[in-house]
Amino acid sequence: MDLLLPSPMAVAASLWKLAGTPQFWLSALFTLGRVCQGVLGGVALGSALALLTHFTVWGERIFAPAIRVMRATPVVSFILLVYLWVDRATIPAVVAGLMVLPILWGNLTVGLESVDRQLLELARAYRFGRWKTLRLIYLPSLRTHFASGLLNAFGLAWKSGVAAEVICPPALAIGSRIQQAKVALETPELFAWTLVIVALSLGLEGILRRVVHPREERGQ
Amino acid sequence: MKIVLQDVTMVYGQRKVLDGCSLTLEVEGLTALTGPSGCGKTTLLRLLAGLERPQGGTVRGIVPEESAILFQENRLLPWRSAGQQIRDVLPRSRWGEVEEWLRFAGLEGEGDTRPASLSGGMARRLALARCAALGGGLMLLDEPFAGVDEQRAARLMQRLEELGRPVLLISHEPSVLERCRRVYRLEGPPLRLVSAP
Repeated sequence: MDLLLPSPMAVAASLWKLAGTPQFWLSALFTLGRVCQGVLGGVALGSALALLTHFTVWGERIFAPAIRVMRATPVVSFILLVYLWVDRATIPAVVAGLMVLPILWGNLTVGLESVDRQLLELARAYRFGRWKTLRLIYLPSLRTHFASGLLNAFGLAWKSGVAAEVICPPALAIGSRIQQAKVALETPELFAWTLVIVALSLGLEGILRRVVHPREERGQ
Repeated sequence: MKIVLQDVTMVYGQRKVLDGCSLTLEVEGLTALTGPSGCGKTTLLRLLAGLERPQGGTVRGIVPEESAILFQENRLLPWRSAGQQIRDVLPRSRWGEVEEWLRFAGLEGEGDTRPASLSGGMARRLALARCAALGGGLMLLDEPFAGVDEQRAARLMQRLEELGRPVLLISHEPSVLERCRRVYRLEGPPLRLVSAP
């Protein structure tokens, strides 16, 4: 019975056993590192592209259609394509970044379009320079769009990063351990790793939520 | 200072706000423009501030880059405190003047208050102080005392006079017009001068 649907006790026992090995912590740490790398890269590139496509006609013409295509492409196609170009250990970070980029770009593009025109006119009339306009008007206006984009993107990056590890398993990774558990028909271990992924995802999302929405904004 | 408009035309869609308008405004101390709503006063002010370009004609006697405009709306940055709003328009060398400008607007002690926590009149006074702090020559004020009680408006007008800068303001308030050195009455659209001082 444990082969198809293991009991909670069997899963807990498996998790306890796993937690006692250094590979467990190293796998979780490396997966986390790869996903965070991907998120950082995706955020940086998505933000830069949002500015480029908003402020330049050529940027909009060249990059906007490509990003829309990227947004519609299934994650598994990315994983297999990226496998052709980079080494295994880098694939999860690249895939996570490719998932984050269009979400951040989309949210920031909507944000840039909704910046208060009257405030921008004020900036012009009061002779604010470009940097000052960016700092005093654009960045504060974009904050909520950035925060919601980041929260959505992080969940997706986490799932796609682990999926990439399952399909192209690197040496130390949660996805590799899931793949090994599946091959060895170690269903309790499969469930135990899934629990780890869910717990890490929820925990990190909680931390991120506190960072992007400070206490006063949450009404506490 | 003397501002001269020569054959100025401005069209918004189907609406001709200025149609070959020629007029001369002598701005000396507090000078007012008054007239019915929608006659084109705000458009004229925006034109003088360089925020609108006429489709025809010329404007002489003003350097838009050296003027400071107070918009009809306060346009305060919701995420900046009252003190920061003033500081944002001052060069670093003048940051020490923030308290002085808050006093100008009767907002002493409100430096850390965000616009959402200010009353309508306080927000208007803050917007006016920010415009005055910006410096430059001519001040263009679109209904600067809307929502400000008469007593405070009188005090602010006195302080504006003391700055010694030319001020061209739009107002409908008789009490404000009474205190202005010059009042131009306008009608429109298209905008035309009905009476000059």
